[in-house]
Amino acid sequence: MKAAVLTQDITKRFGDLTAVDKINLSIESREIFGLIGPNGAGKTTLVRMLTTVIPPTDGTAVVAGFDIREEADGVRRSIGVVSQASTLDVELTAWENMNIYAKYYDVPAEIRKERIKELLGIVGLSERANFTVGSYSGGMKRRLELVRSLIHQPKVLFLDEPTTGLDPQARSAVLEYLRSLHKINDITIVLTTHYLEEAESMCDRIAVVDYGKVVALGTATELKREATGGDVVEAEVAALPNQALEALKTSKFALDVKKRESTLTVLVRNGAEAVPKIVELVDANGGKIRSITLRAPTLDDVFLHYTGRSIREDTNITNKRFVSNWGR
Amino acid sequence: MKGALWVCERDIRKFLRQPATMLGAVIGPFLTLILLGFAFGGAVTHAPVAVVRQSYGPISTDFINTITNQQNCVYGGIDCANAYDLVDVSDLGAAQSMLRAGTVKAVVYIPLGFDQSSGGSPVLTVYLDNTDPISAATISSLMSQAAAEISAQVQVTPPPDSVVTVDVANIYREVLYIEFMAPGSLIQSIMFASIIGGGISILFDKQRGIIEGYLVTPLKRIEIVVGVLLAGVTKAMFSATTMLILAILFAGVRPMTNIIGFMLIFFTLFLTSMGLISMMSAYAVRAPAPEVYQFTAFPINLILYFTSGAVYPIQGFPSWMRSIASINPEAYAVHALRDLMYKGAGPTAVIGDFAFLALFTGLMIALATVAFKRAL
Repeated sequence: MKAAVLTQDITKRFGDLTAVDKINLSIESREIFGLIGPNGAGKTTLVRMLTTVIPPTDGTAVVAGFDIREEADGVRRSIGVVSQASTLDVELTAWENMNIYAKYYDVPAEIRKERIKELLGIVGLSERANFTVGSYSGGMKRRLELVRSLIHQPKVLFLDEPTTGLDPQARSAVLEYLRSLHKINDITIVLTTHYLEEAESMCDRIAVVDYGKVVALGTATELKREATGGDVVEAEVAALPNQALEALKTSKFALDVKKRESTLTVLVRNGAEAVPKIVELVDANGGKIRSITLRAPTLDDVFLHYTGRSIREDTNITNKRFVSNWGR
Repeated sequence: MKGALWVCERDIRKFLRQPATMLGAVIGPFLTLILLGFAFGGAVTHAPVAVVRQSYGPISTDFINTITNQQNCVYGGIDCANAYDLVDVSDLGAAQSMLRAGTVKAVVYIPLGFDQSSGGSPVLTVYLDNTDPISAATISSLMSQAAAEISAQVQVTPPPDSVVTVDVANIYREVLYIEFMAPGSLIQSIMFASIIGGGISILFDKQRGIIEGYLVTPLKRIEIVVGVLLAGVTKAMFSATTMLILAILFAGVRPMTNIIGFMLIFFTLFLTSMGLISMMSAYAVRAPAPEVYQFTAFPINLILYFTSGAVYPIQGFPSWMRSIASINPEAYAVHALRDLMYKGAGPTAVIGDFAFLALFTGLMIALATVAFKRAL
């Protein structure tokens, strides 16, 4: 099967900064593909290149069979985009928003009406079709943007942080609608997100992006196995001298050891066997453990393993590693 | 190019949903027209003038009679028989104190021996409060007229037939000051629409990512530029037309013209709209920050408006202002509108103005296209 998105050494440099560094990705048809990574890792820049907003500095990509450099118009006719910031016209009604957008894509008038009606129905907005979008809740606006991007039946749908800023209920509603839209349309979805559980539940495959490179790629299960090797042991420590940390790091059973504030995270192959060993080793080196838990790995562990940061920390970081000059 | 229509349609729909924003473009110029037009346009009436008379001969009596019954007096197109009220004061010192105190605007001093002056011509003095140049000019011109009138009777030499007299003949109907101002207000409403409906609405769209949002659609960049400019011109024409109707209804403006004249007026407004919308759009899209645009757009409007000859003839400007006027598109637009509205001029009279405006508009469209392409 032909890939829906195929990148070839795609690169974007802004002056000295390399935002996207020779990424090679192959996203299959009908796949839901997730891009995760810290703020400023290059996800948005990658998506902006794939959606023909900015040209790559080097390399290229083929989206829905069209080259992003040579056949931008073909790409644009085959993709739908929901960007991070809302681009709805709040002064206009949902119907008007959809209708104008359909015109941009030359959707014939006789098809337009039927399709708008159908799409608004799918996301539960039929009754509010003639209300101005300014009166909509955040979740409703997102749902409208979602179906607006599908008005021309695109082959590939790009969603940049589609649920950011929504409350949990609205988030799960948007995701539910996204799933049903995916089910009834022949469409490939590329999703960037900060919510790892969202990526895990939605995506067939996930790429972890950091410093402009893909550092890991696979299904959620594969990633977790690869990154963590098995189980995660998490301990709250009252004291942990450096030599105790060193002893853990050099021990045979620990695959990876990280300490953040008072939390010690150890990745091990077999958790049940490792717990007593960890307690013993810390004790012997003058440390003190308050509590210890053994759990299955999550994507957050994967994220931590590859980027050296937890995603929760990352969302709090305000000065990005790389700030794209969006809108300039 | 169909895409341009959709971009325009989107903008116009938004505009129709909230036309109040565009009324802002009309209210400012309209108030300026009404307030400035009526405040400046009127002739001076009932200015108090003190008369200190110390000589009682026939010439001075003649003079007093003349200024008391000033007739055939035309100033600024308005009968000014009531330009001043005369007050008799016996003492020059007292009259001068009144002048300094502002109780009177002028003092007419007829000195002792005025009627007996032998050889030389009789001289009377008019003391003026020249801190109010408008009243001072009116009074001094009326006094000189009166003096000229009686000298014709007094003087023996040179003989009366060699005295040069001037007959004034207006070739157009009387044009009030507020009418003189109206063309400038039409142009100003276009400029306001360009600042608000052009620039600021682009800034909002840019900030909200709507302009970048266009880029993922099949719309071509040129279609986006043309669509945005077309919407701006529609809004500007809406303001200018509203302004014209208001000027006719409330400011007594009566454009003397026929159907071709009206078409030429609208063509002038269209050309100007196109130029100013393109100019302000280019600026908004390339402004370093939205605040910079907002702080500078209105001063730009002031400079263009007041150097356009909208409120005072360009011939009265100092040379540095004349230089600005010579490259100010608003000056050409105002000039063309005045010719079309009050002279009933045909296309040949305004061809020069149109040429300049077309050149300006062409340049600005090119500038806007480049600016947008860079920003997109």
